[in-house]
Order: sequence, then structure tokens, then C-alpha cells
Amino acid sequence: MNRTAPSPAPAIALRAITKSYGQAPVLAGLDLDIAAGQVVALLGRSGSGKSTLLRLLAGLDDAITGSLTVNGSVSVAFQEPRLLPWRRVWRNVVLGLDRCDDTRANALTALEQVELADLADRWPLTLSGGQAQRVSLARALARRPDVLLLDEPFGALDALTRASMHALLRRLFAEHRPTTLLVTHDVDEALAIADRVLVLRDGRVHGDHLVPAITAHDPTRRQILRTTILDDLGVTPDERD
Amino acid sequence: MSASALTASPRTISSPRADDDVAGPSVIARSSHPAVPRWASLLGVLALWQVASVTKLLPIDLLAPPSTIATTGWRLARSGELGSALLVSSGRIALGLLFGVTAGVTLGLLSGLSRWGDALLDPPVQALRTLPHLGLVPLFILWFGIDETPKVLLIAMGVAFPLYLSIHSGVRQSDPKLLEAARVLGFTARQRVWHVSLPSALPHALVGLRQGLGMAWLSLIVAEQVNASSGLGFMINNAREFLQTDVVVVGLVVYAVLGLLTDTVVRKLERRALSWQGPL
Repeated sequence: MNRTAPSPAPAIALRAITKSYGQAPVLAGLDLDIAAGQVVALLGRSGSGKSTLLRLLAGLDDAITGSLTVNGSVSVAFQEPRLLPWRRVWRNVVLGLDRCDDTRANALTALEQVELADLADRWPLTLSGGQAQRVSLARALARRPDVLLLDEPFGALDALTRASMHALLRRLFAEHRPTTLLVTHDVDEALAIADRVLVLRDGRVHGDHLVPAITAHDPTRRQILRTTILDDLGVTPDERD
Repeated sequence: MSASALTASPRTISSPRADDDVAGPSVIARSSHPAVPRWASLLGVLALWQVASVTKLLPIDLLAPPSTIATTGWRLARSGELGSALLVSSGRIALGLLFGVTAGVTLGLLSGLSRWGDALLDPPVQALRTLPHLGLVPLFILWFGIDETPKVLLIAMGVAFPLYLSIHSGVRQSDPKLLEAARVLGFTARQRVWHVSLPSALPHALVGLRQGLGMAWLSLIVAEQVNASSGLGFMINNAREFLQTDVVVVGLVVYAVLGLLTDTVVRKLERRALSWQGPL
């Protein structure tokens, strides 16, 4: 990966990315630019290659053709929290950081941002699903990443917890401004968090929509955008709720 | 038939089955907890044994009564004979464990953590493992004579193999999702080993250690039976010559207590090392 200064080049630049498992290509000549600081939601039906794309960007898979540029440091929060069960919460947050940065003070700062500083000394197995996911988020943010990758991090949470996580994320984005790619299958989640929504279909970017800030306060615009995105996803009218 | 079922168990009127007249009345008795403490039956067996010995039903030269065994144990302990035998045997175990644990842990980690280690070490170790190590006694005597070396070696082999297997598979079974997370979070290779691979192997390793300890004690007993001029096995063998069944049993009881003791130590260790598994 090419790691140079973030601006003015886009934070993420993909050209003609192709990735296949066996015969069928999951990504087929995908082109994509993401500007620094942009919060992008990546939608797609299951099997559309959205998690594959995220793994490529995380550097977990390099068996691809095409060119892939990610400017700056990358951090990931996975679908499951993936905390080390045998290390205390605060250790989980800072483990892997440089020697001078893996301090308890740094961990507490990161945990405060997700409102969990008082759980710093707990074992991860004693946390609820939502708490563990917030710790995982704190762990990703403690690395002060230029690029934050989120792989359906709220998939396993209940609706109430999800709503409060969305609010938390919006606050954290406003503060840190990392370039963010959020993989999700939930159109409403995408509209709630992102300022740009991409629809992945047949291994390519099939739809690309900016979400103006006003959308949050304008139900009509929101509904129109939602319908367009569902069309892009290939959701037939009788499949919609 | 169905009439008797109805009268025997009124609770199951709605579904009279063939076995109702048998099971019906006893259900309540079975569910209540017996009011007898668990050690009562054990005490009963000892009492029966004592009675059988006193009434000459059980010949004393085949098996001494519990009372004699207790007094003999006390006498051996006071004379220092038991103490010095215990010291010798414990020394053998300690030395054997030292070598065996070192070998098991080192080889297990080497073959678990590195592909080269796995390719080079695992096949010969697995092949050796299939040999019943206690069957090596004749060869060991040929090679090392009859003093301490073959005994310590047998004990070391007893503990090394179970430990090797558990560590090898424990390291290999590290959760790939955690390893992947460690990679994207910027762990160094050393941090991956220290914070991911080793902790995930630890529960396996401790189970292996407990198994290994059992094997180690067994190896000690066999080694001491074959040939010894000191130690618990020597005491037991000597007593056999003179038909002192009480001394033999005392020796066996001491073996059992020692085995229990080391097992307890490992379990304590387990509870401390794996405290993250339980709720706070």
C-alpha cells in the first residue's frame, strides 16, 4: 500500500479492482475514489462483495488485480468485537500501539469517548454485546486512524442499542474526521450515519449518492433517496416494507 | 391394566401409559435428596473391612485391617522411614517434571508456532508418542543402568508427551479471527505470540499438564517397582518380601495423596490463570 500525505489526493483510490474466489468474480473491475474525511456507507446484498472490499482495504487480502491506494493509517472494527478475552478492557484498547502510546491513560481517554471508562478493568467476557462493540470502536479510534473501516459493527445489536451507537458514531466522526467506510446491509443505518452512500452490485459500484446534511430533517427527500437506493440494490417493490 | 394405572398415579390420568403403575409412586421418592452425607458409605466400607479382618474372614497376610494400616502409617511417619522415602520419591518426581515440562513446553511451542517446527518436530514426536513409554523400561535399564537416570527419564517422558500434544494443538487452535484482528491492529510478531497464541493455548496446556502429572506418578510407581534401593517403591517392595501388607497399603495411600496434591496445585493454578473465563 502506498502511504503518502493525505491531501489533495483522495484517501482511498481503487482502479479496476478484480477479485475472484474460484471462477466467479466477487469484484469485477471496481473503480472508487473516497475523499479524505468522507463518511461512506457501502450497501449491497449479501454476497455482493462488500466485506471482500473492506478486507482488501484493511490489507487482509492482497490476491487481487488492479491498483489499490490507501493513504494513511488504517484501523478496523469488525462485525464481532474480537476482543482478547484474557486481557482487561483497557489493555485491549491500547495493545498493538507503539510502546510510548500503550498506556492506561490513553486507553481511558479512548474509553471515555465511548462512555465506558468505568469498565476499564473488566474482563471482556463480562461485557454486554453493545459494550463490547463500543470497546472495539474505542480500540479502533485509539489508533487515530486516517482511514476507519467498519464491517457491519452493529449487525448483532438490538434496535435501541444500534440507535445510540449511530448517535455515538456521528459525534465521534465530527470530532476525529477519519475517512470512514462503513459496510452495512441496512439502508436506514447508511442514511443515518453517512454523507455518501455506495451501492455495490455485480462486483461494481452500481449507485453512488451523496447524502446532504438536510436529509436528516427532510422526510420527503429522505424517502426519495431511500427509494433510489433500494432500486439500486435491486429490491423489488413487494420486497419493501 | 389401564384401571390400575389410573388408581396408582392419579396425576397422569390424562395420559395413562404402560409403565405408569411402576413409575408413578416412586417419582416423588426419587426426586428428594437422600439425607445421608456422602462420606457415610465410605466409612461403612472401612467398618466392613475392619470387621472382616477381625473375624478372620479376610486373612491379615493378604490385606491388613484399616486400624493396623493407620498405626503402621503413624509408626513409619514417626520413625522417619516414611519421610526419607517420601523425600527420595518426591526428588525423582521433581527432577522428572523439570525435564519433562521443559521438553514438552519447548517442543510444543516450537511445533505449534512455526511451520518449520511443525514439519520437522511433529512427525518424530508423534511417532515416539505411540510407543507405550513404560514399555521402554528394559531398554532404559540396558542404556542407563538401574540408578536414578532411567527413573527420572521415564517420569519426564510421562509428563512431556501429554503436555506437548495439548500445547501443540492449543497454539494451532488459536482463533483465526483474533489473529486477524491482531494483524490489523498493528501487533508485532512477538505481541501476536504473547497476547494471542500463548493465552489461547493456556487452557489446553493446563489440561495437558494435569494429564501429564497423572502419567508422571504412574511412571514413578512403575520405575520404583522395577528397581529401587530407596524411596516409596523400595519401601513397598521390601514390605512385600515380608508379607507386610499394612506397609504396602501405607505406601499406596501416600502415592495417592501425593498425586492428589499435585493435581490440586494445578487446579489452583488453573483458577488463577483462567480467571478471565468466569464472571468477575
